[in-house]
Amino acid sequence: MIERWNRDQVLALAPDASSQKAAQGVSSPGKWSGIGSAADSVWGECKGSGSKPYRACVDLSELAYRCSCPSRKFPCKHALGLLLLWSADGVPAAGAPADWVAEWLDQRRERAAKATGLAAEAAEATRAGGAGAGPADTRRAEQREQRVAAGLSDLERWLADQIRQGIAGSRRHDYWDDLAKRLVDAQAPAVAGTLSRLSSVLNGEDWPARLLSEYALLHLLCVAHRRLPAAVAASGSAVVDPGTPAGADGTGLVRRVRERVGFPVTKEEVLAGETVRDLWDVLGRRDEEQDRLIARRVWLRGRRTGRAALVLSFAMTGQALDASLVTGTTLDADLAFYPGSAPLRALVAVHHGAVSTGFPTASTVEQALDEVAAALAGDPWLDSWPVVLGPVTPAGRGPWHLAGSSGGIPLHPSTGTPWRLIAVSGGRPLTVAAEWTPRGLRPLITWDEEGQVIVL
Amino acid sequence: MNASAEWEDLVSTALVGTDRRPRAGEAAGEIELLGRAAVHTLRMRAGTRPVASEPLSVAAPEEQPAVSRAAGGRLARILGGEQPRLLAEWLEVAAGRGYRLSPHLLPELLDHAVRDRSIRSHLGVLSGNRGRWLAGLNPAWSFLLEEVTVAATGSETAPEVWELGTSGDRRAHLAALRAADPAGARELLAVTWEKETPDDRAAFLEVLADRLSLDDEPFLEAALDDRRREVRHQAADLLTRLPDSRLASRMAERVARYVTVVDGRIHVTPPAACDSTMERDGIRAKPPRGTGEKSWWLQQAVARASLGVWPRLLGRPPRELVHMKIVDWGREVMAGWVRATVLQGDPEWARELFAWDPLADLLAALPPAEQEVVAADFVRRHGLDGQLIMVLGGAAAPWGPGLAKAVLQKIISVSETHPWNIGELAKLAGERIDPALCGMAERLSPEPPIQEVAALLRFRHDMLKELH
Repeated sequence: MIERWNRDQVLALAPDASSQKAAQGVSSPGKWSGIGSAADSVWGECKGSGSKPYRACVDLSELAYRCSCPSRKFPCKHALGLLLLWSADGVPAAGAPADWVAEWLDQRRERAAKATGLAAEAAEATRAGGAGAGPADTRRAEQREQRVAAGLSDLERWLADQIRQGIAGSRRHDYWDDLAKRLVDAQAPAVAGTLSRLSSVLNGEDWPARLLSEYALLHLLCVAHRRLPAAVAASGSAVVDPGTPAGADGTGLVRRVRERVGFPVTKEEVLAGETVRDLWDVLGRRDEEQDRLIARRVWLRGRRTGRAALVLSFAMTGQALDASLVTGTTLDADLAFYPGSAPLRALVAVHHGAVSTGFPTASTVEQALDEVAAALAGDPWLDSWPVVLGPVTPAGRGPWHLAGSSGGIPLHPSTGTPWRLIAVSGGRPLTVAAEWTPRGLRPLITWDEEGQVIVL
Repeated sequence: MNASAEWEDLVSTALVGTDRRPRAGEAAGEIELLGRAAVHTLRMRAGTRPVASEPLSVAAPEEQPAVSRAAGGRLARILGGEQPRLLAEWLEVAAGRGYRLSPHLLPELLDHAVRDRSIRSHLGVLSGNRGRWLAGLNPAWSFLLEEVTVAATGSETAPEVWELGTSGDRRAHLAALRAADPAGARELLAVTWEKETPDDRAAFLEVLADRLSLDDEPFLEAALDDRRREVRHQAADLLTRLPDSRLASRMAERVARYVTVVDGRIHVTPPAACDSTMERDGIRAKPPRGTGEKSWWLQQAVARASLGVWPRLLGRPPRELVHMKIVDWGREVMAGWVRATVLQGDPEWARELFAWDPLADLLAALPPAEQEVVAADFVRRHGLDGQLIMVLGGAAAPWGPGLAKAVLQKIISVSETHPWNIGELAKLAGERIDPALCGMAERLSPEPPIQEVAALLRFRHDMLKELH
């Protein structure tokens, strides 16, 4: 049986604040009938406005939701309300799932088994090498290489022009729009994305320094991409060879550069690559919206391997985001990492189940900084990385820090005063999971003296 | 040039442009600049060292037991918007039992109390040492440092609290002493009286309302000459509650001059002026906007006169008096009687006046068992309107089975005809009916409004169980 999540953990699954509110409206026992929980699932019928109650159920082991309501939010308020009720110990245990629940669970398991089979086949095919790549594909691929190269060399010149003329004139929020569009046309979408996010740099007094850093890193990317053929020739392997493991021979960095430019890696390719089984602590998540596209980052860390991982998912505004990872829980899973140096982004390849094992081991401030430095060595464009720090204390006042015995790391300016963290700490050291960014830490979760997960 | 100076130089050059500020002796200075900036950026990111930071003080360990996880979870639900009107009840019960909250809930609750003063008095106990430590870090929460810090029930407060405690703690200490030794409390207060702040004097005087007796009269009489108006007024209110006080008899002498009975009718001559002796006895000279001076003075004099004076003066018991014809000034006399009844808590007058004008305050002046009977009767006879809600608001909670049934029946009958009207009554019922009656309510009717009341009662029932 899965350990019950606390209320904060459930609410963290909601797609937005209004869903959180709506879910609390349907979380009282009076609204539900036929509720029960068994075999890692919860279900119930919630009275709606119509004559037929909505049937909602949640598969807790491999988090999945189903509800008969017409809501397009995901998970819907009924599924969340049911989970809130469950988290408040309001769902009685049943011997076996209700029939309609069992049916759904069976279908899911079947589909999952089929999907795993297909993925394995596809991965096998990818591993076998380039099957199905006809002359047309090859031509398209070549064409893309040329476009990207042209686009980046344009960007390189543009950056040089900026520095020659001075960046003082670029303080306009739409300054990079045309350039970003040109890079989309040049099929370098990741670079275009970086450019269109530049306007956020302008908020703050230190904008010239921050903008220069961003320009410099873009310049570095252009140069690195221009020099790829030479690097590949030197290391003696082909540029597009998914079978090559991320090694220290330079091919890892080659892959990282191509990823930062925006060459896609398919799911099959990822699943065919390196997988790591571990107990993964879900440290927290952050949603970022841009141009009606929401990117969700979920941070994980392996108990045994100490590896950091990022599960990234995207959805258009108003559409369902991946809500299968619960902050503060631990899952036993195989993660497949995207190829490249300083591998971080990953997919959950095989989910073996949820476990409860207390809270994770932490790094000291120095260890965490060393880890970030090592990651940056593998990926100079890295701008966030999950760390688990401990024992640390909120300190500093004014600019707040998380401090260990020998000093602290500042918090991200947007964090403000982390009152909840300060309250839990009471001036005493604790363990805190946080997202490292170049501008400071964003606290994710901590654990109180009773070991309860506190979402920050 | 050290690293940070070089970075500053790179930034300022980039800002104006290498065209205007060429880098000495370098061709294609902009490429060179971008390369160096990239190196610097990475050096800063990868080379970050821990910075020195000022540690916080450590919060004192807690002495009180923490609320259970289930209770804390329910508080979070209430704060999250589920049954928000039950927040005060949760806090009051938890504080009364001497619990403290899980620290992570404190910031949200303290922010809540910044906006809602009514819950602050409970937070002194609930937030424990951690809360006061937080209040020391955030000036917005400093109100906490004035609140009571120990649960009033079951714990003997030490005498040094009176010397050293927060003003909330001193109030609590005085109240506890008052309950055990009324004279001792008054004497303790008298010693420091002159040195207390005006706000504290008014607050401490309020404590004397408990176990008030004629022994307190000299002290209160002296307080009528206090510098602060709130204190004078509080003292006058307390003296009004003592029908045998000098103030009550002075007031009785006054009203005797205003009122006579001629031919079975009450004739009234209102005071012509408000002199300083009247003002000293708590009559405010300046009327509120829209009220005449004489009307205002008369009303207050009647309100502060001992109710015992009327049967003596007019030769009739209250039952007849409230029905007598009053020539002119009738409104003022009745309003004064109502106020006097509320202040003096006189059940006989309250019974008679309520029958004439059903006011919540009059209901509250009756003994609790009678309140329920009278309120239930009123509910059965009266239609659902604002007055019904107000009257029920005066009935002491928790409501027992009699009043509960009458109200639930009312909800059922109104829901058949005017279902859109029952929201407020249903909410009040859910909040005031004894939660132990939730089973009765659940079985009473399957109608949704009754089931909603039952659900609210069940919520409170579980809530109180968790806080045990």
